[in-house]
Amino acid sequence: MSPRTAATLALAALLLLYPLLVSGLNGAAFFQDVGATLILAAISASAWNIVGGYAGQVSVGHAMFFGAGAYVPLLVFNLWQWPPLIGMPFGVAVAVLIALAVGIPTFRLQGHYFSMATIAVAELIRIVVSNWDLLGASIGIQGPATARGWWDLTFRSSVPYYYIFLAALAALLYATYLMERSRFGYYLRAIRAGERAAASLGVPVRRTKLAALALSAAFTAVAGSLYAFKLGYVNPESGLGILVSVQMIITAALGGAGRLWGPLIGAIVLVPLQSATNSWFGGSGTGLTYILYGGIILVLARFEPGGLIELWQRLRGSGGAKIEGTHAA
Amino acid sequence: MILLQAAVNGLLLGAVYALFASGLTLIWGMMNFINFAHGEFVMLGMYAALLIATGLNGGPAVYGPGAAVVLFLLGILVYMLLVKHVMRGPMLAQILSTFGLALLLRYTAFFIFKSDFRTLPQSWLSGTVNIGGIFVEIPKLVAGIVAALVAVGMHLLLTRTALGSRLLAVAEDRSAAMLMGIRPDRMQALAWGLSAASAGIAGALLAIAYPFSPEVGATFALTAFVVVTLGGFGSVPGAMIAGLIIGLVDALSAYLIGPIYKDVVVYGLFVAVLWIRPQGLLGTL
Amino acid sequence: MLLEADRVSRAFGGFLALSEASLTVESGEIVGLIGPNGAGKSTFFNCIAGDLAPSTGRIRFDGIDVTSAPAERHALLGIGRTFQVPATFVELTILDNVMVGAFLRHHRRGDAEAKAMEVLRLTGLDHMAHQRAGILGTPGRKRLGIARVLATEPRLLLLDEALAGLTPGEIRQAIDLVRRIHASGITIIIVEHIMEVILTLAARVMVFNQGRTIAQGTPQEVVNDPKVIEAYLGHHHKRRRARASP
Repeated sequence: MSPRTAATLALAALLLLYPLLVSGLNGAAFFQDVGATLILAAISASAWNIVGGYAGQVSVGHAMFFGAGAYVPLLVFNLWQWPPLIGMPFGVAVAVLIALAVGIPTFRLQGHYFSMATIAVAELIRIVVSNWDLLGASIGIQGPATARGWWDLTFRSSVPYYYIFLAALAALLYATYLMERSRFGYYLRAIRAGERAAASLGVPVRRTKLAALALSAAFTAVAGSLYAFKLGYVNPESGLGILVSVQMIITAALGGAGRLWGPLIGAIVLVPLQSATNSWFGGSGTGLTYILYGGIILVLARFEPGGLIELWQRLRGSGGAKIEGTHAA
Repeated sequence: MILLQAAVNGLLLGAVYALFASGLTLIWGMMNFINFAHGEFVMLGMYAALLIATGLNGGPAVYGPGAAVVLFLLGILVYMLLVKHVMRGPMLAQILSTFGLALLLRYTAFFIFKSDFRTLPQSWLSGTVNIGGIFVEIPKLVAGIVAALVAVGMHLLLTRTALGSRLLAVAEDRSAAMLMGIRPDRMQALAWGLSAASAGIAGALLAIAYPFSPEVGATFALTAFVVVTLGGFGSVPGAMIAGLIIGLVDALSAYLIGPIYKDVVVYGLFVAVLWIRPQGLLGTL
Repeated sequence: MLLEADRVSRAFGGFLALSEASLTVESGEIVGLIGPNGAGKSTFFNCIAGDLAPSTGRIRFDGIDVTSAPAERHALLGIGRTFQVPATFVELTILDNVMVGAFLRHHRRGDAEAKAMEVLRLTGLDHMAHQRAGILGTPGRKRLGIARVLATEPRLLLLDEALAGLTPGEIRQAIDLVRRIHASGITIIIVEHIMEVILTLAARVMVFNQGRTIAQGTPQEVVNDPKVIEAYLGHHHKRRRARASP
């Protein structure tokens, strides 16, 4: 068994057993909750990673997909008393439609247009939702207060959520792993590495970018739905705010954008950190957490855009001096 | 009549938009780089004016120049320490670098100044004037006119002076410029200084006329994006015209639909431009 | 007739970079495009490659009109090109670079990998397959660029100054590679500054100057054409020849 496989299995075991391992501690419920938050953060960041990391199309407005996934299930519950779970596919559909509305015009232009558009559209949606009574306006909407059955996904403890999230994360990571090795995955990375050259090799650039964005939006919506199931509540700030987008980006980038494990590693570092700083700095009202986030993103971009994974690989010496490519054929 | 008043106010505001958007598009055209912290530069201009007013007891005449100097230096600093290095790297790093800077600046301002809206202390620059039946507040009038003058001045600097042609030469063809003895690095740093200064002056002018808080930077950044897109990639004249248009749309939407939805109209217009005419008014694709 | 370019023109704003260039290429030929800098040969090249859309004129490949088709379609139909400044995927391994090309015709990973390795062996890069492409110097990157496009199994290969900046030894190797590629049945159009290379490789040469084609023919014919000497080789050569004749 290679060291990498061993490490992966160890990580998997740790993640599987985490809620049980902390159950004996004082404040177990809190730790289990942080665990669930961590896994959810890893899901969102992994979803963003598909289009932002692998394809290199930097979306700064992914909150709009997350929000779609969070709002629609709770909305169908409020309107027709359906279990929110039924609303999840519809949330995904809405997210994909938004993705196409943003991607189709901008992917034929240079990359900045896409990034600017994602910020603008996310903000546009946030303002509209904040003022739409049907969607709860600035107060937001709630899910089922008590479970009518298991399908309402309303649990008292964080532990069932933790395992649901873990299953979703595993599925997403496996899908990403398959994608990485597939034609689609190679095409994404080629686009990121050099669009013009990629096109000259037959890569259908626009179509591929759109597919990546649609997939990313869909998975992000799923993450939003999971969030709504657990919290039972969403409002424009928690579902559609810019900080939701920032969280996804920094989590993926810190660990390593465009890498399979990057987002999870980022979540493992950042979520406990955020819990800690929130208690030290007394909540996010003072904004110190976000000063830290801004600083981290800045330092990452300037010194190690490849994130922790790249840093680790560099320290281990996987780099190498420049070698001339000529060789007696 | 009130509609006309809204329109006039819109144009005056639009002149300020034109000013800071010109700075953003200058960098975009020159270095193919979008400064995601540009809105925060405007915000810092506002607070620079505040500090000049409260700390140094300066009057309105000093706000603009003072903010210009501070932001000019900041722009150069940001270029030398950050932008210069990420420009050669991957797109992700480029976009994240100024985005991270934006967050840092925004929340540091939050931390220092809290989230309350502030206004500058009362000065001789106050009151309302009646122009042919339209009532215009003097601070807004001054802000608009000064912004227009500075924007035009910037355009003239770029197109009519030797320095300006050196800047544009680098934008046009870096290697050719180097062969002519122009130092691209210096020109780029200078461009960043000018760009930031334009944002700073705009901020100071806005602070004279409107209340401000640390979070307005985010809105100005978006406004700047809409304006530079509508104006066309890298086109300073385009940004100036587009600024006036967006100011107009902004004010008329606020009047006709309500202040809450005016941003929705502007962002919706942005999406429409992207779909229908992405090269904007004066840009080429 | 594999490629037919019919009176292709391209303007940039008010500047006419290319004017009424026509060219037909039969399957199996090697054609050279030469001319001073800014003569329009790169513009013509990019129009054929699908990177630029002509302002007027038509381009047909194997009978199919590709005038306004995007680069991706060109590649699919069998037109491949290299870049003057190698657009290497630096973050990817050398093998992965070539696999991107291989995936065009081989959708399954195993097949694409096999094809890529085959091409790497042909171009002498197989021993470095799993190293990051960023370690290569310019000659290596040019070679990788050729490998990458070969993996797309083109019928027409457009080489854009593939030999610029190489040492004489490297040039010999590159010429050898181009010959081998040609021998495998691929038609080649080559843009080049280095006269000796064109004269060695090309059976037919087209000369550009100031946006127009001023001569076409065998290398011998072109070299002795006074218009070409005037435009490309310059006064210097004219004087030399005057001194050389008794």
